[in-house]
Amino acid sequence: MADARDIVIVGGGHNGLVTAFYLAKAGFKPLVMEQRPQIGGSAITEEIHPGFRCSALAHSAGPLRPDVIRDMQFEKFGLRIVTPEAGVVSLSADGRALTLYNDSKRAAQEIAVFSQKDAATYAEFETALGKIGKVIGEALAMTPPNIDDPSSGDLWGMLKTGRSIRNLGRKDLYRVLRWGPMAVADLVSEFFETDLLRGTVAARGVFGTFLGPWSAGSSLMLMIRAASDPHPAGSASFAIGGIGAITQAMAAAAQKAGAEIRTGVEVAEIRVKDGAAYGVVLTTGEEISAKAVISNADPKRTFLKLVDSTHLTPDFVQKMLHYRGNGTVAKVNLALSRLPEFTALKNSNPASLAGRLVIAPGIDYVERAFDEAKYGDFSKQPYLEVAIPSLADPSLAPAGKHVMSIYMQYAPYKLKGNWDEQRDALQSTVINTLGGYAPDLPNLIEAAQVITPLDLERTYGLTGGQIFHGELALDQFFTMRPLLDWARYRTPIDNLYLCGSGTHPGDGLTGASGANAAREIVKYLKK
Amino acid sequence: MIRVLHLRKGAQSSVSNATKYDVIVIGGGHNGLVNAAYLAKAGKKVLVLERRHIVGGAAVTEEIFPGFKFSVCSYVVSLLRPEIIRDLDLPRHGLEILPLDGTLTPMPNDEYLWRVNDHGRSRREIARHSRLDADAYDEFGKAMQAMCRFVKPILSMVPPDPATLNPKELMKLLFIGKRFQGLSSEDKYNQVQLMTMSAIDFLDQWFETDVLKATMSASGIIGTFLGVRSPGTAYVLLHHYMGEIDGAFRAWGFARGGTGAISNAIADAAREAGVEIRTLSPTAKIIVKEGRAKGVALQNGDEIYADIISSSVDPRHTFVEFIEPGHLPEDFLADINRYKFRGSSGKVNLALDGLPNFKCIPGDGPHLRGAISISPSVEYMEKAYDDAKYGHFSRRPYIDMVIPSLTDPSVAPPGKHVMSCFVQYAPYKLAPGLHWDTEKEKFGDTVIDTIAQYAPNIKDIILHRQVVTPLDMERDFGLTEGNIFQGELSLEQLFFLRPAPGYARFRTPIKNLYMCGSATHPGGGIMGAPGRLAALEILKDGKGGA
Repeated sequence: MADARDIVIVGGGHNGLVTAFYLAKAGFKPLVMEQRPQIGGSAITEEIHPGFRCSALAHSAGPLRPDVIRDMQFEKFGLRIVTPEAGVVSLSADGRALTLYNDSKRAAQEIAVFSQKDAATYAEFETALGKIGKVIGEALAMTPPNIDDPSSGDLWGMLKTGRSIRNLGRKDLYRVLRWGPMAVADLVSEFFETDLLRGTVAARGVFGTFLGPWSAGSSLMLMIRAASDPHPAGSASFAIGGIGAITQAMAAAAQKAGAEIRTGVEVAEIRVKDGAAYGVVLTTGEEISAKAVISNADPKRTFLKLVDSTHLTPDFVQKMLHYRGNGTVAKVNLALSRLPEFTALKNSNPASLAGRLVIAPGIDYVERAFDEAKYGDFSKQPYLEVAIPSLADPSLAPAGKHVMSIYMQYAPYKLKGNWDEQRDALQSTVINTLGGYAPDLPNLIEAAQVITPLDLERTYGLTGGQIFHGELALDQFFTMRPLLDWARYRTPIDNLYLCGSGTHPGDGLTGASGANAAREIVKYLKK
Repeated sequence: MIRVLHLRKGAQSSVSNATKYDVIVIGGGHNGLVNAAYLAKAGKKVLVLERRHIVGGAAVTEEIFPGFKFSVCSYVVSLLRPEIIRDLDLPRHGLEILPLDGTLTPMPNDEYLWRVNDHGRSRREIARHSRLDADAYDEFGKAMQAMCRFVKPILSMVPPDPATLNPKELMKLLFIGKRFQGLSSEDKYNQVQLMTMSAIDFLDQWFETDVLKATMSASGIIGTFLGVRSPGTAYVLLHHYMGEIDGAFRAWGFARGGTGAISNAIADAAREAGVEIRTLSPTAKIIVKEGRAKGVALQNGDEIYADIISSSVDPRHTFVEFIEPGHLPEDFLADINRYKFRGSSGKVNLALDGLPNFKCIPGDGPHLRGAISISPSVEYMEKAYDDAKYGHFSRRPYIDMVIPSLTDPSVAPPGKHVMSCFVQYAPYKLAPGLHWDTEKEKFGDTVIDTIAQYAPNIKDIILHRQVVTPLDMERDFGLTEGNIFQGELSLEQLFFLRPAPGYARFRTPIKNLYMCGSATHPGGGIMGAPGRLAALEILKDGKGGA
């Protein structure tokens, strides 16, 4: 006899947990099913080597949307977020470092060393990003309107956003319109002359996407990220205990609100009858029926694997097949015997390592890294983002030792060769590249964990290894995420909903998709 | 100093024998001429000032080598708005469009893809490569037609200003919204993708044959500094599709006598309507007093006055070169300086002793009468772009060739031929240490070597060669940075953003000064739409009493 449930949420990633929390708050009894032994999806802390625990995939939060933080009251569940003052440190090939402090005045002083002009425009750029980001933030928080017949709610939402867009004033309004489709390389060049600064800010626009700084539309990504953090290059938002501490706190909050969470249970199929979802079947054969099923898995996995596609129109399946989602990011996590010494930071205090270290020393550097990905090779001189979580929380590594988390881009999912054979090549590429900035690094490595895009798909269930559940680009954004007319968290199948990053806004570790989805789903369920 | 005196002298002379015009049009390119013709037909006294010895701007035919008439820059026509052909009665003024049938794409393995205007034949040809694609080809054609039907009225519409609260403007925005609503959800889906995707991402959804996608995507990058994988190129793909669906399937064609014949026909129509055209009259300055355009000072010092100045040259000439500092708001000037030109293409024009002999289809034949496209694969196209990104012309460029002398013998001596090769990428800004004047012939050699891979005899039949670099286009034709569209056709420079936010309505911050060139909506190509739309706006203001 099948276990009968209120609501089943497929996948215990951060969005699934946020959705579970809000549904529980609204009086439902959601059951979260996570295939892996621990919840958290891409936001997890794992032991990569005896005694060394590291943020396995993501290492810095979005940061989380303020209303989510407020509602879920993480501090009650022991979550402590640290935001290092030296948010971003960018290293140049010629052994110089540019520290972008969260405080724009201090940042400007650092920039002035490279260019007085850029120091002056930096504040202007940050202010513009802040104003525009605020408006975009409203769009990210709203449910994309129904194109065919906008409801009064839709119109109201659009009106509100419309008004705040107008309130931007002529200049910034046109900036929104102009910047959106622009190549981020052009945008940063309009403000800055220092290639190191250009590369660092542009990199934020292309992170996780199949875009290079010269790809049109990469500015939109920068603007979307500015919505949660106006610092041009972003800042760092780490959790004591590694990124996994965030999803642990989310799980605790959701459970306290009344949600149930099961780990190590993989959903094999979402059951559909007469065009309506009525439950799930686990790989163990166990059946669980539910009034509603919410998928935190990416759209392709949901519709092309978990659902029997005969329940969908061929047209919808076609479009879903064309939904673009080939990842470009790989991860290398290192267990280090001590803190490496970065040439550019020799005489500066260790605090300068506390934020995100970026290797994106110029526009051409990042673009060339992208070029290789276009032809199915991984970058030989990759764009890297490095974090050392054990600085914020020494307990992550044995005394005096450290863990280092490294994003590597570009590592195309569609590789000419086979990722399992390229694993070592990828690792040495990353270590050699970073070794160019910290010569002693290669000698400090006690263990290394390499996560290729293929691993992201196999182990973490991210189709195509796409960390945002599908390419973030103009054609897959807002009313088009995941598909035009299916951006409202509902699906062509009744009682089946989406709540993952493959829905609007899908902007990384912010909880936005999960919170938006919950808001809509509660409405539908209470109808 | 001398110039200043000279100007003052000119000023005096002009006071004495100055004729007053209603409108002075700066630049005798096709848009300037269309603009002038429409204004004159409405009864205005119009003067057109052209810098060179002939009218036409980038749409000219020149006998560079005795007996060989080259369409030096622009070489095919298809976008010319039908209403303009009608209104100006261009056929009566000598315009004759000869069909350009099909596109041949030779491949390295001596295979080829040959699409012609006969849909059935193209379908069979594509089926040789992929049956699936042959079916998709029908669907694709239908979809593109629907898209064009949606976009066309927008092309002939004055862009609304999204920043105003003027109800009339908002209605226009609503009109577009409504039209979009009217589309079937399938068309909505396609339209949204066309506006945002890269040509290849878009085509990937329809076709599997690499050479087909590569050749189709080419029209998405012409005149832009984008690659076939750059988002936004799908739109330009549509922009080039327009021509193909005008009225009954009208494909790209030549003008008899070369592209210059189009300009001459428009000029003829303009003169008949009473327009005065002065060649060899380069503009030095636009005379502005109290924020109003009053006239034009020529480089020879003459000053000519008019109620209205309409500039068909690009914004950098108009606002940075022709207007004394201090007359323009800083924000506007900043936007103009930000406006991207970035020429990315060159031309190689050849005088031939015979016909190129292609390995894939040897000998003479109908395959030479259409366009011949060197675009063998998507990777080839993208690699060509990669070179340009770092300041080099493509080692293996995309080339679009036509041999007009096969269709129009008048452009070459008997038995001889002219071949026009449009080449991309040739970036205006070369890497440090490189200069176009020293790269020019190397560029020409690269183009010939590339063609020789498919038609080995090309080197033996070349009598003369004219290489036109982006720098030449800037120097000889006044196209800033050699951009053939007077500015990139990229999303952030289209519609109400072309050429500058808030000034996409042909008016400028200076009263009585208008823009009517390709740098205004809807952009480049021998379309004439900007010239016509600007004329209608000028007349409207005249009525309303600007």
